[in-house]
Amino acid sequence: MKLKRILIIFSVMTFFSLGCTDLVETLNDDLTGQAAQDFIKARTDVSALLQASYEGLRLPYQDQSRFWAAQEHTSDEVIGPTRGPDWDDNGVWRVLHDHTWTPEHSFLTSTFNELLQVVFSTTNILSFNPSATQAAEARFIRAFVMFSVADGWGQVPFREPGDNLLDAPRVLKGSEAVDFIISELNDIIPDLPDGPKHLANKDAARVLLMKAYLNKGAFANRTSPTFDNGDMAQVISLADQIIGSGKYQIADNFYDNFAPNNDAISTELIFSNQNRGGESSGNVRSRWFCTLHYNNNPSGWNGFTTIADFYNKFEDGDVRRSASYDGVTNVSGIKVGFLEGQQFDQNGTALKDRKGAPLAFTKEVKLIETGDNLEVTGVRVVKYPIDYASGDNSDNDYVFYRYADVLLMKAEALLRSGGSTGDALAAVNEIRVKRGVAERTSLTLADILDERGFELYWEGHRRQDQIRFGTFLNAWNEKPASGSERLLFPIPSTALAVNPNLEQNPGY
Amino acid sequence: MNIKQKAKSFRFLLLTMLGIIVGGTLHAQTVTGKVTSSNDGSPLAGATVLVEGTTVGAFTDDQGRYSVNAGSGANLIFSFVGYARQTIAVEGRSVIDVVMEATDATLEEVVVVGYGTVKKKDLTGAVSSIKADDFNAGIIVAPDQLVQGKVAGVQIMTNSGQPGGTATFRIRGNASVRAGNQPLFVVDGVPLDGRTARPDVGLNGIGASPSANPLNFINPNDIESIDVLKDASATAIYGSRGANGVVIITTKRGKAGAPSISYNASVGVSSILKRLDVLTGDEYRATLQDYGLTGGNFGGSEDALGAILRNGITQNYNISINGGNDQGRYRISSSYLDQEGIVQKSGLKKYTSSFNGTYNFLNDRLTIDMNLLASHNREQIAPISNDAGFTGSLIGQALQWFPTRPLRKANGDLDIELGSTTINPLAMLEANDDVANTTNVLASISPSFKITDNLQYKFLYSVNHGNGLRRSQIASWINIQGVEGRGWAAFSNNVLTTQQFTHTLNYNTSLGSNVDLNAVAGYEYMKFENRGMNLSGQDFLTDEIPYNNILQNSSQSSRGIGSFVDPTAELQSFFGRANVNIQGKYLFTATVRADGSSKFGDNNKYGVFPSFAAAWNLANEDFLSGSPFESLKLRAGWGQTGNQEFPAGAAQERYAFGNNGVFNGLENVANPDLRWETSTTLNVGLDFSVANGRIYGSLDYFNRSTTDLLFNFETIQPAPAGRYWVNLDGEVINSGFEYLINAFIISSDNISWEVGINGAFLTNVLKNYVGPSVLTGALHGQGITGTTVQRLESDQPLNAFYTREWQGIGENGLDILTDNGNTFYYLGDPNPDVLLGITSSFTAGKFSANINFNGAFGHQIYNNTANTILPIGNLNSGRNIAASLLDVDNQENLSNSIKASSRYLEKGDYLKLTNATLAYNLGDLFNGYVKGARVFVTGQNLFVLTNFTGFDPEINVDKQVNGVPSFGIEYAVYPTARSIIAGVSFSF
Repeated sequence: MKLKRILIIFSVMTFFSLGCTDLVETLNDDLTGQAAQDFIKARTDVSALLQASYEGLRLPYQDQSRFWAAQEHTSDEVIGPTRGPDWDDNGVWRVLHDHTWTPEHSFLTSTFNELLQVVFSTTNILSFNPSATQAAEARFIRAFVMFSVADGWGQVPFREPGDNLLDAPRVLKGSEAVDFIISELNDIIPDLPDGPKHLANKDAARVLLMKAYLNKGAFANRTSPTFDNGDMAQVISLADQIIGSGKYQIADNFYDNFAPNNDAISTELIFSNQNRGGESSGNVRSRWFCTLHYNNNPSGWNGFTTIADFYNKFEDGDVRRSASYDGVTNVSGIKVGFLEGQQFDQNGTALKDRKGAPLAFTKEVKLIETGDNLEVTGVRVVKYPIDYASGDNSDNDYVFYRYADVLLMKAEALLRSGGSTGDALAAVNEIRVKRGVAERTSLTLADILDERGFELYWEGHRRQDQIRFGTFLNAWNEKPASGSERLLFPIPSTALAVNPNLEQNPGY
Repeated sequence: MNIKQKAKSFRFLLLTMLGIIVGGTLHAQTVTGKVTSSNDGSPLAGATVLVEGTTVGAFTDDQGRYSVNAGSGANLIFSFVGYARQTIAVEGRSVIDVVMEATDATLEEVVVVGYGTVKKKDLTGAVSSIKADDFNAGIIVAPDQLVQGKVAGVQIMTNSGQPGGTATFRIRGNASVRAGNQPLFVVDGVPLDGRTARPDVGLNGIGASPSANPLNFINPNDIESIDVLKDASATAIYGSRGANGVVIITTKRGKAGAPSISYNASVGVSSILKRLDVLTGDEYRATLQDYGLTGGNFGGSEDALGAILRNGITQNYNISINGGNDQGRYRISSSYLDQEGIVQKSGLKKYTSSFNGTYNFLNDRLTIDMNLLASHNREQIAPISNDAGFTGSLIGQALQWFPTRPLRKANGDLDIELGSTTINPLAMLEANDDVANTTNVLASISPSFKITDNLQYKFLYSVNHGNGLRRSQIASWINIQGVEGRGWAAFSNNVLTTQQFTHTLNYNTSLGSNVDLNAVAGYEYMKFENRGMNLSGQDFLTDEIPYNNILQNSSQSSRGIGSFVDPTAELQSFFGRANVNIQGKYLFTATVRADGSSKFGDNNKYGVFPSFAAAWNLANEDFLSGSPFESLKLRAGWGQTGNQEFPAGAAQERYAFGNNGVFNGLENVANPDLRWETSTTLNVGLDFSVANGRIYGSLDYFNRSTTDLLFNFETIQPAPAGRYWVNLDGEVINSGFEYLINAFIISSDNISWEVGINGAFLTNVLKNYVGPSVLTGALHGQGITGTTVQRLESDQPLNAFYTREWQGIGENGLDILTDNGNTFYYLGDPNPDVLLGITSSFTAGKFSANINFNGAFGHQIYNNTANTILPIGNLNSGRNIAASLLDVDNQENLSNSIKASSRYLEKGDYLKLTNATLAYNLGDLFNGYVKGARVFVTGQNLFVLTNFTGFDPEINVDKQVNGVPSFGIEYAVYPTARSIIAGVSFSF
């Protein structure tokens, strides 16, 4: 009987275990196919996806090594010097400064890819029956990001909702991209909400539209930009709509625009990227960490500085050059604006560098620092008041568009189209008065570029401005005059390899 | 298999069952007799006498006598392990004495191949078999270390000296361009998952700690043999998992006879193999003066590395009991290993138990094998990471510590400078508590049934279940950025389960005179599951209670919570093998496996992997009779194998759920065309034995071409993710020549000395790849963010070093670089050209001595430690430097930047004395109550000959980028230990 039992057990076991599988893969913590579609439809709105798209802007815009580096390190207002043991980083910062980057530049490649990931996520939202407002929001974010890609690389890969991701997408090149952005924005403005400023809104779309019209001629012909009067009229009219709304005014305290609670106290913000203090943030804190010295509080990374010629242009009394800020200066002694010369702690005690020498930032800075004072060269920039309360997740919302930019663009468009110099001066002086400097009595295009520098330094606009004003290829600091191919970034070699519809930009 | 086939199999089994039960008997009588051995005529106790076709039988007693009831026309079957089975007709006799013929096992040495065994002389593929007697001795946690230096063409490098740390096991070089280069490990017929349940954790502010070895659950003392299958003709039977070679681990099984207890115990002491030369307090003071620096002298003399190291004590106890008879055999074992790491507060406690049994039923027609391996590992893990940044991890912190600054203040407190980026390594050690407990059970049951004398059916069910829980925390009082003033604690859990069903049919027959056929056919189903969770928090009110005990006390905003369940991966396979042996001269093997995997895309569900091999036993040919060759065999084989080691879920679209109620949407680019990677191997070999077996060995040439390279490649933007899995165009070619030569230099009754040498000459190159260069080999530390030094590019070896060319230090004290460092060049190759192993075993009377060297040559190692942990600029920032920096013509400028360059690319050549054992055989003691007593002393890693300036050239720190593996980079790793172990073993 024992034997029989064994055999029966054996046979039964065999029988059950012979079962063949059809090898259908079960996902256990993700949804796929119809279940995913059903989930999204059942939720009746796509707000979760939209939220993910907004947060997708954090890395490519807030991090110090992404679009900000592309716009600033390549310009005349930022330098990332190699300081003895620090900041060689295989030369990634130096090649941005001296305009010798290649199609393999890791930060430029990451920036390109991450921006396009947002283009995907916003396009994808359109597949899921969003409400008219949600669709407009998604399309705004997409246009915003596409404008950055067009600005940097001149070619924007683009997919329609539902396209096969294994196929190479079509590419919008040059003016095609700008025209698409303009038509998208005109299309969606009626559906966009009026606020809040950390979400897509009508005025944000108007500012982006202003930028599209203002830069259209520069994007079309980067070596010698042209400015169509019709485009300039659009810029002025859009600016007037924003100004006329009465919703914004130049802030009494310049640094309120960047403070940890800037979402509440700034009177200038039009579009920003939300950071939730102590909870969930982009890398906005890198703005102060990358510039502060080790012996500052907080202990910084002792990296980026501004360039002497840029710093020297500031007039005495300009609050944008230096000021104290409550919650920062009284906590650590650190001022806001530019940090030059001897640094102090909150008690007025002079700080020292790690060798014991005075922590006194010099104006002069070299691309490769080898001297005894290599820790202290270069004027530091703290535009975002430090958030001491929120740990790694700083509260400061990251500023994309603000009112001062609108006024300056309006002034520029007036000058470029032969409009009223008086109106242009009024716009510029509205800002200057608040910043503690005398009103201008005359205004040239070069003055506008300077004014944009005084006001918008380190906010990620400089490369675009310099290209539009024709100064981007000039020599400055240790950078020699560069070739016209540098007006565009090279298409990353990895992107070129997978999408045959992209072509390498000339000169690379 | 469809329903019809299922029904067929069932019917077949029922019929077989009936056939057995119906078999009747004639009238019975008592038969007695004596069973003796042909060797010396001594009686055999415990031999089985069975009446054929029944369950009636008996065992012989101490005198070899038996008594059994059998029909006058019945047949009696006599069997005993180590002797040839005999069937004798009763023919009415009442007394039958039997002399059993001993079989000589050495002539018939068996090699374990996939789903079966083969006699060594009949082998057609490239297989290296290492038996327990030849294993490395000493402190061995995972069994891969047992064969270090023993197998030609195999390179084993540890990834960390942490007890239980994982190893890089390479058979015939690197073939893949993404992680998953390890061979397939098979334990007693159970192919392993390859992952470990011990969770990997990123320590806040420290970085990712190295992984644990997935083989840690096995007790090395339970292992009988390790067979390394190297060429495709041997591995193709493992199909889509065989491309990196297969390592088959066979555990010891019970032997027939009275119960026997084996016991061994050892105790050892370990210390650091090699220290790095950094400045002492006095040297540092002198150097500060040379450089005209005023700060930095705290007046003391501190050896910070010495302060965190110790002499680690290791104890190991093993006990096993085995016994049985022809009807059933068993072995049970238990072991305990307590290994103190050479870094304080690190170590491993390992508890294992095993049971296996083999039981025969139905006249030996039915055999049931059972196996159980259970283990529990408790790892205390040092805060040493693969990717520490500026503030380093423990080893970096110790190397950098100011040698003039005491680690403790005058009052005995640790000197911790809050806000500073200089971390006191003793404080780091104290602040960190990181313990992982991993329990693993591997159980299998395998009945096999002899349907006819020629046909055997075998079934195997196994389950391998691992459960790991890791509790990590860093105290708030340490000045690690992000932890200082806050503290940090995390729980991580991982559960890994693999199940397997295997059915095999084995058929043996003779096809006419001198032509034998052996065929195996099988079906296998495997299921892999991996799930886990993690919880973390910061900001605890007290340091008095371990944070992990009061995780609820963390602040709301600091909490991290996550769980995952990987997609279930299923593998369904059909396989077969046929061996034809013609006159013992001409051998042919053909295998095929069809693997279906749920991981593959819809368009490629099944892959087919064939192989063919032939061998010619030349020594059996007439024209070689009288030659000095006892054996001479020429082998040639060709085959294809696959690799499917990419994460499940890559072939279909996945919509993910993120933190805090966020729906991430589509998170990947699905690739329904995704398939396995294919390796095609050609192998030609020669096995020989001359001078009466005093010299024997093998030579092998191989060429392995790997195509359809699985790779996590750039997506085509706009896309939801940065990377997706594709099969890249391109091919990796590994080719080379391997040799193994053993010679008995002295072979007499009392003294024997055998020397063996094995080695390989390897080349490795990526061909026909047209995509953009793939960057990997990430460096870490100060001033080197985002820097990579290795590339995959066509016509270069895998992981070729690509960096700036350093020419020296100029008169200004700064680096001189070719083209001022603006151009990068291919300047080195981490893949060794030559591997070497040397073994020597010497026996004189009761003494024996075994020595094992191994080495690798012709490759480079990038010394990330020298590059970023100990550069000259540290003199400015209150950190120590490498002593070698002062031994130069031009004094190096303190401002010389830290940068990647060929300055840190060092020759990796080394020869290591891995293992040396001296033993004395006491033999039988106490009137034979204690048998085979043996005392021994073993030295492990006694010395290493190398010019490499890091801790150990046989180290490979994981510096992968985006899943593309690095190779040959050293970075402030847990140092390798040198150990001396003394022990005793005996049985009774």
